[in-house]
Amino acid sequence: MTSHDMTSYDMKRYDIEHLAELLAALPPPPEGWVAAAQALPGHRQGLDVLLAQAEHDAELRARLIGDLEAALTESGIEASPHLLELARERLRRA
Amino acid sequence: MRALTDAEVVARCRSHDGDAWNELVERYSRYVYAICVQGFRLAPQDAEDVFQEVFAKVYEQLDRLRDDSSLRPWLAQMTRTTCIDRLRSAARQQPAEEVELADVDHVLELVEEALTVRGALATLPETCQEILDRFFSRDQSYRAIGDALDLPAGTIASRISRCLERLKSAMEETEPPQRLADR
Repeated sequence: MTSHDMTSYDMKRYDIEHLAELLAALPPPPEGWVAAAQALPGHRQGLDVLLAQAEHDAELRARLIGDLEAALTESGIEASPHLLELARERLRRA
Repeated sequence: MRALTDAEVVARCRSHDGDAWNELVERYSRYVYAICVQGFRLAPQDAEDVFQEVFAKVYEQLDRLRDDSSLRPWLAQMTRTTCIDRLRSAARQQPAEEVELADVDHVLELVEEALTVRGALATLPETCQEILDRFFSRDQSYRAIGDALDLPAGTIASRISRCLERLKSAMEETEPPQRLADR
């Protein structure tokens, strides 16, 4: 950091209006987004269990291949785009 | 109680500590959201998809993070890349739409600085944190803040002013600009 940078940085830091602007720059995400992200590990674990079961259960495997989104939702797993892609990839590899 | 550093949160997440994961998401949710919406101006549905995808990637790729204290820049880079991928994909589907990225860097600088201010905010008394967050970040009225915190609405303006002064002092005690990078 140069002295010029330091000066402008400090001037900004000490400015109440700028602090207010910075506080306003980080609003919370819409309701439900944080909870959904926090629930990811649980859904990921649920997917692991379901795919492991499908290796020995032809009917379940057929259901997953037939309508993956519905099969995940029925199992209480939130079928987010990322999780669907992950599940499809693992079903292809299995 | 002392807040965990990023490195401690990451280490606990690797041990499948659910509370640590919740803390990581809570700590960086506004940051990721701001990059998506303010930096890259994603539409709400795209922003939500990217937001969830970023945290899914973090969860899956945490073992690849070489330095546990580098969570913030790693997360920023991951969010940028995911936003750009999303914009490129949208541009392929609707080639007529121009992807505007000209002022992304300027906005991202502001977001970085804003996150540092939030770090300083976390050192203030809880009432101050609530008042400033509700007024500036959540855009709530004096009345709504008063109702939520059981305070007379007529005192909110002066409390905001006092809390901003305290925040300013907290920032002045902060060593620029890396001190809070490891929060």
